[in-house]
Amino acid sequence: MTRTELRGIPQPDQSFASFMGLPAVYLRGAKKSFGEKEVLRDVSLLINKGEVVSIIGPSGAGKSTLLRCLTLLDRFDAGELAYGNVSVAKQEAAHALYDDAAMQLARMRFGIVFQNFNLFPHYTVMQNLTDAPMVVQGRQREEVEVQARELMERLGLSEHADKVPCELSGGQQQRVAIARALCMRPQIIYFDEATSALDPRLTADMHALIRELAADGMAVGIVTHEMGFAREVSDRVLFLFDGQIVEEGSPDQVMESPKDARTRDFLSRTLD
Amino acid sequence: MSSLLLQGYATSLQIFAITLVGAIPLGVPIALGRLSRIRPLSLLCQLFISIMRGTPLMLQMFAVFFVPYYMFGVQTGPGYMFVAVMLAFVVNYAAYFAEIYRSGIQSMPQGQYEAAEVLGYSKGQTFLRIILPQVVKRILPSMGNEVVTLVKDTSLAFSIGLAEMFTSARALVASQRTMVPFVLAAVIYWITCLLIELVMRRVEKRMGYYHD
Repeated sequence: MTRTELRGIPQPDQSFASFMGLPAVYLRGAKKSFGEKEVLRDVSLLINKGEVVSIIGPSGAGKSTLLRCLTLLDRFDAGELAYGNVSVAKQEAAHALYDDAAMQLARMRFGIVFQNFNLFPHYTVMQNLTDAPMVVQGRQREEVEVQARELMERLGLSEHADKVPCELSGGQQQRVAIARALCMRPQIIYFDEATSALDPRLTADMHALIRELAADGMAVGIVTHEMGFAREVSDRVLFLFDGQIVEEGSPDQVMESPKDARTRDFLSRTLD
Repeated sequence: MSSLLLQGYATSLQIFAITLVGAIPLGVPIALGRLSRIRPLSLLCQLFISIMRGTPLMLQMFAVFFVPYYMFGVQTGPGYMFVAVMLAFVVNYAAYFAEIYRSGIQSMPQGQYEAAEVLGYSKGQTFLRIILPQVVKRILPSMGNEVVTLVKDTSLAFSIGLAEMFTSARALVASQRTMVPFVLAAVIYWITCLLIELVMRRVEKRMGYYHD
């Protein structure tokens, strides 16, 4: 696919056909520095449709930077990034070359649930869900509201449709944030610390919800330092240490028999 | 006596209304320019705000009034007096409003911008739909303060010879040898401010349907 083709809105059927089989997100050789400090050194990852992948690691390992760059709030210095068939950044002469039009297309393909949700406080729950689909995607109010009501029903928010976020509990606010992301019909949804705001019962609910999303074919990326949750919910775990992915595999493999000494060291400190 | 005062009051209200209608919108581009990443533009707006706030409104009024004659040799008609007052008031108050807008915009948490960016909102959409409505709520108390000040500042137009309420009151005090016109003028100023306080309280209450 050439760059000029990306500038227009893709034909839905073509886009869908070419998307089949491609990972929801594909990242290769990503690097990022802040001044002298190398925060990410050669990070590669991919998350497939229907797959739950957790990125774990100690504070300062580069998890937040990785997530910020994946969600296009910041840019990698080098590397290749693609969402499905949308090539967001290409590697050219040791630099990541971003395509603005592709970035906007990619934003329609991923959603993120921020750690502190960042809901729009002046909007009702319904408006939080429907505003971006109408304004950004140009969809009809009736159609978006039908979808929003379905999502609210599914997430147990139906009776809160006309409330504003400050009237809701933390767990409810998080579900609004999830619904807001899903209302954009993304193919991948990221969670920044999915469970840090939740009590044990809500954590169990979140586990069930994430597995449900994956069963529907959604790709899920979770950035967390909560090992227990990552282990239970993930299909695959990436261990990020000092800007590099030093371990990758099934949760059991990574957490029970890590190959890398740094992973062993980190896990022995956190798991007991 | 009261008819002369009320005539003056009408002029005061005119100054008040035109200043608000002009300065409230004009403050927006000044605040945005002040916050702009384009350094010269930001510095220019800072300088403008600094001068407007750092020199007396009365002096600004006279400057605007005399500029056509002393700088361009243009004789101005009697109608220009009101125009000069309005120009000075609008520009001066726009600078104050711009500073209030700026502090309001800067108080917005970064997360709101990030949430909007990830959802694909353009810069303009983010400002108009997400940032501005929340900024309005945040700056209401400071705006109320400034609007009340404006009611009383309209009396500055007296110095240039415009017949607003204080001008009438002073003329009446001199010709009729009584303090009553001053008392009446004070009461009218006060009631006007009281009404504004009431309106502001209602607006704040209406915006109080959420907190962040």
